[in-house]
Amino acid sequence: MIEARKLTKRYGDLTAIDQVSFSVDKGEVLGFIGPNGAGKTTTMRILTGFLPATEGVAIVAGHDVFASPREVKRAVGYLPETPPLYRELTVGQYLRFVAQLREVPAKETLTRIGSVMERVGLTGWESRILGSLSKGYRQRVGIAQALVHDPQVLILDEPTSGLDPAQNLGIRRLIGELASDRTVVLSTHILREVEAVASRVVVIDRSRIVADGTLEEVCAHGGDPTWRVQFGSSASDTAEQAVAVGDLAAVARVHPRADGVLEVRAPADPRVEISKMAAAKGWEIASLEAHLPGLEAAFLSLVGEEAA
Amino acid sequence: MSGMWAIYRKELRSYFVSPLAYAFLCAFLFLAGVFFYLGIALTGEASLRVMLGNLSISLIFVLPMLTMGHFSEEQRGGTLELLMTVPLSLPSLVLGKWLASWTLCGVMLTGTLLFPWILSWYGDPDWGIVLTSYLGLALSCGAFCAAGLFASSLTEDAVAAGLAGILMLLPFWLMGSAVRLVGETWGPRLEKLALLPHLRDFNRGIVDTGDLAWFAGFTFVFLFLTFRSLESRRWR
Repeated sequence: MIEARKLTKRYGDLTAIDQVSFSVDKGEVLGFIGPNGAGKTTTMRILTGFLPATEGVAIVAGHDVFASPREVKRAVGYLPETPPLYRELTVGQYLRFVAQLREVPAKETLTRIGSVMERVGLTGWESRILGSLSKGYRQRVGIAQALVHDPQVLILDEPTSGLDPAQNLGIRRLIGELASDRTVVLSTHILREVEAVASRVVVIDRSRIVADGTLEEVCAHGGDPTWRVQFGSSASDTAEQAVAVGDLAAVARVHPRADGVLEVRAPADPRVEISKMAAAKGWEIASLEAHLPGLEAAFLSLVGEEAA
Repeated sequence: MSGMWAIYRKELRSYFVSPLAYAFLCAFLFLAGVFFYLGIALTGEASLRVMLGNLSISLIFVLPMLTMGHFSEEQRGGTLELLMTVPLSLPSLVLGKWLASWTLCGVMLTGTLLFPWILSWYGDPDWGIVLTSYLGLALSCGAFCAAGLFASSLTEDAVAAGLAGILMLLPFWLMGSAVRLVGETWGPRLEKLALLPHLRDFNRGIVDTGDLAWFAGFTFVFLFLTFRSLESRRWR
């Protein structure tokens, strides 16, 4: 549905994005993450036809963005970083204006506007002046304008910035619903959001793509998973437990915590070995759970802490 | 085409929901009233010659203020990103905005019809001349709006765009006075470029195709420059 091939954008000497390639299939939600200034917005602007790339090819909904921009613009709904609102218009006037620009047939305009307003939670706000809305509501109007023509491809640049946690959850749910029958690209620096809705993740840092894959694949960049073990009261003191667990073949490193929990790093699953060892020593296992590295750990290891 | 009318309707709505349009209407009618009174009090003739002549000059200063926000505000507020990512062609965008500001000028000029009406109570104005003079004014409005739109497409700063618009139009006014200063070779050429010689015929009741072509050409050139300036913005 979306294919970027070696997209490069230079402003004079400054390279905003460098050889960026990725593709998104129909029905996928792609989370596009990276530190501020990494090139997320530039990439989205190229995909929507707002900016031409210096080099490379972008194909969206079967059309080349540079050769046939109008076909691409018909297929894409786009929410820029700042919702593009006219302060003097009302919500209803604004959405009718955008519907006309997005070539929604006149007969369907009112029903389309009614249904997107319901979807983003704006019902009853039709006659409010945009300039008087709070940031969260402006963001909703911004999302509504991107949906008004029922696009196949949805490109959202930081759709939840400025929203409170409840609104955040609402938008996340909405994105999940929308993804069932279309393609969504979502840029954000809120990683939990990506974990919640994205099926694919692309990480961009300093103009280049540093990771691209499913959520699990990208999370694997965060390092080995850890396991947390706690033995029951029948076991001896923590130091002895740590030595016993550390001697196991599968375990790379053990870190005893003050509360008696052992943090175990191991390249492969050590749970069977740990329980066998505990049974041999007559210790009870109070808990034994896996902690997979989250997207945050992966992100930090990919872009470096100082960049984040 | 439908995109152009969507832009047209939206711009007119934006004019009339903000105080801007009303402020301009008031200021323009006030100016017209002053010129009307002075023209009749000083010359003693029942004609609109002085009023209409002065109004066309004042338009040089008024209209860039009316058009200054068109593209500069779109750039500053991020709405240009919306207009550039919907299936709307740039010529439709430029034409829609130009037609909307020209329509507002039409409303302003219609307001000044009050003065010929007053005049007809006290004297017998030449209606043919009134008609052609108004045609000249309307054409000037169209041309100046096009120049103002071009100025607005150059910068994000609306006030700078307004000043730039005035600075673009001033030479076309001043050229008329410079004709006598530059000698035989350049004089006639300057006269062809200057604004006032082309308005003079309209104010005498003459509609000359050369003058019509001058206004059409002026408008077209500035609309085209606006289009090119928006197009080039994408490449910067």
